[in-house]
Amino acid sequence: MGRKKKKQLKPWCWYCNRDFDDEKILIQHQKAKHFKCHICHKKLYTGPGLAIHCMQVHKETIDAVPNAIPGRTDIELEIYGMEGIPEKDMDERRRLLEQKTQAESQKKKQQDDSDEYDDDDSAASTSFQPQPVQPQQGYIPPMAQPGLPPVPGAPGMPPGIPPLMPGVPPLMPGMPPVMPGMPPGLHHQRKYTQSFCGENIMMPMGGMMPPGPGIPPLMPGMPPGMPPPVPRPGIPPMTQAQAVSAPGILNRPPAPTATVPAPQPPVTKPLFPSAGQAQAAVQGPVGTDFKPLNSTPATTTEPPKPTFPAYTQSTASTTSTTNSTAAKPAASITSKPATLTTTSATSKLIHPDEDISLEERRAQLPKYQRNLPRPGQAPIGNPPVGPIGGMMPPQPGIPQQQGMRPPMPPHGQYGGHHQGMPGYLPGGMPPYGQGPPMVPPYQGGPPRPPMGMRPPVMSQGGRY
Amino acid sequence: MLNQEGRGASEQVTFWKRAKMSLFGTTSGFGTSGTSMFGSTSTDNHNPMKDIEVTSSPDDSIGCLSFSPPTLPGNFLIAGSWANDVRCWEVQDSGQTIPKAQQMHTGPVLDVCWSDDGSKVFTASCDKTAKMWDLNSNQAIQIAQHDAPVKTVHWIKAPNYSCVMTGSWDKTLKFWDTRSSNPMMVLQLPERCYCADVIYPMAVVATAERGLIVYQLENQPSEFRRIESPLKHQHRCVAIFKDKQNKPTGFALGSIEGRVAIHYINPPNPAKDNFTFKCHRSNGTNTSAPQDIYAVNGIAFHPVHGTLATVGSDGRFSFWDKDARTKLKTSEQLDQPIAACCFNHNGNIFAYASSYDWSKGHEFYNPQKKNYIFLRNAAEELKPRNKK
Repeated sequence: MGRKKKKQLKPWCWYCNRDFDDEKILIQHQKAKHFKCHICHKKLYTGPGLAIHCMQVHKETIDAVPNAIPGRTDIELEIYGMEGIPEKDMDERRRLLEQKTQAESQKKKQQDDSDEYDDDDSAASTSFQPQPVQPQQGYIPPMAQPGLPPVPGAPGMPPGIPPLMPGVPPLMPGMPPVMPGMPPGLHHQRKYTQSFCGENIMMPMGGMMPPGPGIPPLMPGMPPGMPPPVPRPGIPPMTQAQAVSAPGILNRPPAPTATVPAPQPPVTKPLFPSAGQAQAAVQGPVGTDFKPLNSTPATTTEPPKPTFPAYTQSTASTTSTTNSTAAKPAASITSKPATLTTTSATSKLIHPDEDISLEERRAQLPKYQRNLPRPGQAPIGNPPVGPIGGMMPPQPGIPQQQGMRPPMPPHGQYGGHHQGMPGYLPGGMPPYGQGPPMVPPYQGGPPRPPMGMRPPVMSQGGRY
Repeated sequence: MLNQEGRGASEQVTFWKRAKMSLFGTTSGFGTSGTSMFGSTSTDNHNPMKDIEVTSSPDDSIGCLSFSPPTLPGNFLIAGSWANDVRCWEVQDSGQTIPKAQQMHTGPVLDVCWSDDGSKVFTASCDKTAKMWDLNSNQAIQIAQHDAPVKTVHWIKAPNYSCVMTGSWDKTLKFWDTRSSNPMMVLQLPERCYCADVIYPMAVVATAERGLIVYQLENQPSEFRRIESPLKHQHRCVAIFKDKQNKPTGFALGSIEGRVAIHYINPPNPAKDNFTFKCHRSNGTNTSAPQDIYAVNGIAFHPVHGTLATVGSDGRFSFWDKDARTKLKTSEQLDQPIAACCFNHNGNIFAYASSYDWSKGHEFYNPQKKNYIFLRNAAEELKPRNKK
């Protein structure tokens, strides 16, 4: 083929990485495999469309695109055929295809003669097998190989196939309609396909055009509410049959994870292989070291996070707060007391801005600080520090650490509790057999009466 | 000994009438009667699911809930609150809840758990201590000390040792033999401990800055692996789940961004087996208004079915089947966030607490607003669904 103009030469499905001869077929595939409602089987046009349908008609929410490979399951990304595919993924695809081209070109020659014909489904599903099925050699050659379908047709393709099979798809979509399996019919099919291809070639090109200009605008923003993709009116009908069969039967539950890169070899080991082992690539994503945590979480660039960036949509979004993909407020937790990126154009995180837990935030309030009352701490609202009842002074590193503040009994109930405390504990709270609990044993400071001995300081009536 | 403050007796009577329905085993009539129970304001949405309300609930936000283990006959519920108290109720089969006892800390109670034999309750508090409450004697003693509030407390029962694990905002994880004031072991955490769960021999701790560490507890606790978080936002809750052989095999991690990650420790195919799903969000996708994303405040696994429940700041709870990757049910919206949840030992009861969780800051805190704990029959609704 060598038509550079195409995105990756041939249309391919972003959700499952399959190649198709023609965008029309691709769309039919997407409608049947990715945008089909699992409840009523209605075929929608886009991912968001499916989500909306499920919500409105069935009152169900869906979180991922069905039959999509991990990392490509974002339900909010509006992809129609080849439109809406993030530029990054396009580039990645190109690279992959280039590599494949060299590797596959030789192998492809051998695919000629297997004669099995499976039904569309299995055929389709096998597309993900690491078969060298023709990569993109253009439509005709692959089509012409009767062997192809069978190859992919191999039943029982292993499920966990790495999603990098760019070469396979080209055939699949084309085959089904032609196929429905008959060796004898092959020849006919071949011709058919050839002509099909012929047509195809025209079509896709033609089909591409319109979207062409449309795409750029779509790419960058990926606005979820993006205008319906350019319709493809003129595409040849032939693809109907495929729609259903075509393919992509990945059986793969939408499991977003890690970017495609190297799929991890499955590891089977006991849960805790004798201590110390750890690592063991069981999870690819686990940082190479033991400290992936500190992370630089966020701050952009997903790449560093090959993990389970859930939907990996992060790729496109992240950081940029105004990111369109809904629900990706891209928290940039760069520094400790950092603030979260809580809003974006389409979503809003209901959480206070600072990146501390709700409990920490709440515990900072004077109202909840009446810990171990300490004499001499009149000012409320003073930051912490100061040993309390034998406890170590809060580390400086612990922000918002409540210090010992004088009890602030804004509410009668609090004050009541404090004082009433002894009353509640019939047995009192025998410390550790020592008078002042928490004292010596706990590397503490000077012993202090731990509980409520101190009358609450009512200095300020204010609550906070 | 229980201080029944502020609750009008009349309210309790009303609730009793409702509570006559059986909580267990049957699905009939549980909270499903169509008539308006309260008869009061039709706009009152504090219990849209018409679940059983626990009497004498705490006066401030409930931070944690825990049901007694199977070793105790019957069901006892413990709740810790921001009013510094820990309360215990007996929950009878009829749905009646009887307050039994109460203990106090000097700071809000952030976590509670039971010992395996059901005789002790451990409580963790902002007062930087954890206590052991002997229910028989109704005495509580301090058994742990940290330099900052203790956020999590768990009882570990191993063949060769037993101890209490406490996680704190002081970035340490300490293990205590309740008879000694010195910790048996102290492990450093990368950041403040935000949540943890233990099912022997596995323990998971999630910290600030999205830290995530798995520990293995055989022989003695040791760090097993640090995992790069599957979530992009602050970790909020975590719960371990088991496989068909009843061994812990992974965990569910919830964040403040309405999302839960299901993560297996040693999956055959991590890319495929681990996944995340969105939850606790308002329906923003099909409207032009931005979607509101709420924090997941708690996750609990049904002890029998293996399905899970999540509760969120949006005031809803949802049940999910992680194997079929489907949602089983979402509740109506309560008028307050749901701050905590738990199942009883046989999975017949699902308890959830309706309290303000500070998700909108202190401006939205209304101390006059009542805090509720609801009990729901969970035997049927959490049955797994066949994979479609």
